Amino acid sequence: MSATDRPESVPGNGVGERGGSLGRRLVAVVPRLLTLGLGFLFLWMGLAKALDPVGFLKLVRQYGVVEGPPWLNLLAACLPWFEAFCGALWMLGVAVRGTAAVLGVMLAAFTALVWRHALALQATTGLSFCQIRFDCGCGGGEVWICAKLAENGLLLLAAVFLLVHRPGGRGA
Amino acid sequence: MGKARPQSQPSSGTRRVSVVRQALLVGAFGWVFALVANTLSPRGLSLTRDYFPASPLPATGGIGQATAGAASAVETGALGAVDQKLQEHGLEPVTDERMHALFTDARYAQELVVFIDAREARRYQEGHIPGAYLFDRYRQDEFLPSVLPACQNAESVVVYCNGGDCEDSHFAALALRDAGVPADRLGVYSGGILSWQKRGYPMETGDRGSGMMVEGVGAP
Repeated sequence: MSATDRPESVPGNGVGERGGSLGRRLVAVVPRLLTLGLGFLFLWMGLAKALDPVGFLKLVRQYGVVEGPPWLNLLAACLPWFEAFCGALWMLGVAVRGTAAVLGVMLAAFTALVWRHALALQATTGLSFCQIRFDCGCGGGEVWICAKLAENGLLLLAAVFLLVHRPGGRGA
Repeated sequence: MGKARPQSQPSSGTRRVSVVRQALLVGAFGWVFALVANTLSPRGLSLTRDYFPASPLPATGGIGQATAGAASAVETGALGAVDQKLQEHGLEPVTDERMHALFTDARYAQELVVFIDAREARRYQEGHIPGAYLFDRYRQDEFLPSVLPACQNAESVVVYCNGGDCEDSHFAALALRDAGVPADRLGVYSGGILSWQKRGYPMETGDRGSGMMVEGVGAP
């Protein structure tokens, strides 16, 4: 493609330059906004759970993935702080892609667990799937399962975007 | 072979390795941070303590936590099984009517009947049965010294938590039994504070004996 095919890049074409520059700036700023926003979310959710570790312990236990000490305790004690740690890294713009990989894997695993638990509740209660509401231990209290799955899907997409995107930030 | 890449651009393979290495570092540092934070936190969990020793309740899979309509029917059905399980552990299930009768009994004022609230301190402060002792079994060392003498001097001790599939009252009752309170004096109020409140029975907020009373929301 020749330069004349791209008027926005022709020197002296003010409108085109401004448009291209704005677009580039937007492309550059979206990942940063994502890491700031999602980082804050993970930090907040992590701290909410870390400040009530007993409550989180009970909720982790309901999934029946691990039982008894030390694994159940370790999971309940450390996961909230780990989540907060990852959130802080994203907010600081440090190790963004590595953090995205870790959180992506964790999100996928938790989403599968929440889904499985909701199916079990549905089978027991006879409610339709989207009528199921319970505290999944995600940090925000009781949630409607369909809304939670949609939210996790979006978070997972964001994590994948940050993983494949090539940001210019530190540690990336 | 594909197109030659400029030397300054890392190949996709190199980038992948870099991301994996970064993820491993994040994982390692994150877990170390989490362990240290849990250790330093005053609310941190013990990694070795069994918080749920031999669950006294039949497995419900958290049914009571599904809050939509049909779940209540399941809860009601599960209650009989819960009571049966309590009896198997030598604990007496206490009904709403019996609980209220004990509350109005003169022996309650004399502390010959003692109620134990097995929920966390925050919930207790929000509202508890007047005169009930707070016993957060997850912080047993902190609460047992004040609760145990009262229980040992009482003729009847009834433990409650939220109700439904809340297990804390059962575990707390077993903890009191293990601490020396005779099992035949111990009971568990299966309906819990929610049922108490729903029936419009009195509630006290703040500390034990604060005198700040609120009426329950339901009809007496």
